[in-house]
Amino acid sequence: MILLSQSAAQFFNDNIALLAPIIIIQLILVVTALVSLAKTQYTNGPKWLWVLIILFFNILGPIAYFIFGRDD
Amino acid sequence: MQWLTVFNRESLEAWRNFKWIWVPLVFILLGLMDPLTTYYMPQILDAVGGLPEGAIIDIPSPPAVDVLMMSIGQFNMLGVAIIVLISMGTIAGERKSGVAELILVKPIRYSTYVTAKWMNYSLICVTAVSAGMLSSWYYVSLLFEEIPFGHVLTAAAFYSLWIIFIVTVNIMMNTLVKVPGVVAFLTIAFLIALQIIGQIFQYAANWIPSLITSYIGEVLTTGNIPEELWWTSLVTVGLIITLLVIASYTLKNKEVV
Repeated sequence: MILLSQSAAQFFNDNIALLAPIIIIQLILVVTALVSLAKTQYTNGPKWLWVLIILFFNILGPIAYFIFGRDD
Repeated sequence: MQWLTVFNRESLEAWRNFKWIWVPLVFILLGLMDPLTTYYMPQILDAVGGLPEGAIIDIPSPPAVDVLMMSIGQFNMLGVAIIVLISMGTIAGERKSGVAELILVKPIRYSTYVTAKWMNYSLICVTAVSAGMLSSWYYVSLLFEEIPFGHVLTAAAFYSLWIIFIVTVNIMMNTLVKVPGVVAFLTIAFLIALQIIGQIFQYAANWIPSLITSYIGEVLTTGNIPEELWWTSLVTVGLIITLLVIASYTLKNKEVV
């Protein structure tokens, strides 16, 4: 297990230049979704649940929030 | 001008909803995914395991154009779903909530209302798809082989037509029914039907809009624009205009269910 995570870290370090854009874009998505969530008054379902969804579901969480989250 | 006022209202709303930010970003991610997963496929297979010790994984690196076409296939599946979902309520939702009546009570032509919305969503979606194609092209050129930029630009221009067509179908369905979910369902059903018909009658009716995607492969490889693609584009533009006219007409005359 340790070996696997080490090699994963190694792999990540070797390919950081290629993977960085994906991570940055994901971060921007999460941040915009959270900003939008903070600004809206009405959401479909409880707000804290959306915070969890946005934070813990990669890519799909923010998209789901943007499409289904707001109730306007 | 009146049209600009309605259009500005639409694009202001799109900015406030962050659509101008997140839709392009999602398409860029979609575009990046396929070149990367294809490039790292041997490592992924290695890490997932399940292969006997000493098995040699020898996957030939696919041609660059094929990888770019994979991204386009991704746009055709998930991308289209996103396009349909973001625009499903644009007219239908406004009629349901009564906002449409508030706007249309003023002396605004129905066609203005329809085309302003259409223009807004076309701009967002074309920008997003072009950004996605550019990012995919960049990664393909980095990880596989160089594809001439001119070919990608031409392909993106023709592909945009197909995207605008999807937006138009969606706007048309928006004027037919009031429930956003039904609008999305009808649009996707229509597009799938069109794709099936396109596949069956590929040779008899080579002008069906859904075939644009298959002609693009040739544009990317050779850089030439096949004659069928010109005809298909012409038909697509014609259909877009017809659908917009139908949309304005139904919005004006039909008491919608």
